[in-house]
Amino acid sequence: MAANSQLPRRIIKETQRLLSEPAPGISASPSEDNLRYFNVMILGPTQSPYEGGVYKLELFLPEEYPMAAPKVRFLTKIYHPNIDKLGRICLDILKDKWSPALQIRTVLLSIQALLSAPNPDDPLAEDIAKQWKEDEAKAVATAKEWTRQYAQG
Amino acid sequence: MQAAGDVVVPRNFRLLEELEKGEKGFGDGTVSYGMDDQDDIMMSSWTGTIIGPSNTVHDGRIYSVKIHCGEQYPNGPPIVRFVSRIVLNSVNQQNGTVEPRSFPLLANWNRNYTIETLAVCRRSSKRRNACT
Repeated sequence: MAANSQLPRRIIKETQRLLSEPAPGISASPSEDNLRYFNVMILGPTQSPYEGGVYKLELFLPEEYPMAAPKVRFLTKIYHPNIDKLGRICLDILKDKWSPALQIRTVLLSIQALLSAPNPDDPLAEDIAKQWKEDEAKAVATAKEWTRQYAQG
Repeated sequence: MQAAGDVVVPRNFRLLEELEKGEKGFGDGTVSYGMDDQDDIMMSSWTGTIIGPSNTVHDGRIYSVKIHCGEQYPNGPPIVRFVSRIVLNSVNQQNGTVEPRSFPLLANWNRNYTIETLAVCRRSSKRRNACT
């Protein structure tokens, strides 16, 4: 734990609250050997193609946090126009819309919301976005299939 | 070595940073690298391209290397193997593997070294015997 002896108070507070009052369908816990590195789990939102899926993510608070956004990516394979093959997420608050008033919790809630509302007009995975715009029913069916195949926890 | 309170970037986020740097390109373009398998969520397998430095026997040659970043990376060094045939002291002539014993950067690896450090050093070590 010596390496974390200077962990900022803000991070300690956020971590405590994440553990004591987790948001519905979201869990986040820090690694034992690196308290800036979180194992995250998000349940696929109901009424979305990801319903019934359990998604693993990893989150890291860079040295500049909270002046810079957390870094987050999916470890579970997911068919979504705003998430690429390496699990990187296209979300404004993780980039230019980041504000220190936001927190780990709000970031994870926004990612959960992104699963409910895919945005093919601002794509990261071009091929998936194209499919989404051309034939949404087929894209949703593929997303459901991937949920069954890859996101069963 | 990390001092108390240092922020340690975990393996995967470190490799994502390295990937972005490799995609943007750096230096004079004589060294480049990228991921082998765009679907590999663990980002383990990389290929680097090194253009032989001028005024050496490697002048103008293009060498391809495979770089494997294991689970311990960047705490532990990657495994580096030449795909192109090359005669160098530190390269095993049977399989192209760069021998850590004769390549100080690998032998004395520290987590601040990157794939770029490695490839650039690999290139310059063709002039000198060691790169430290």
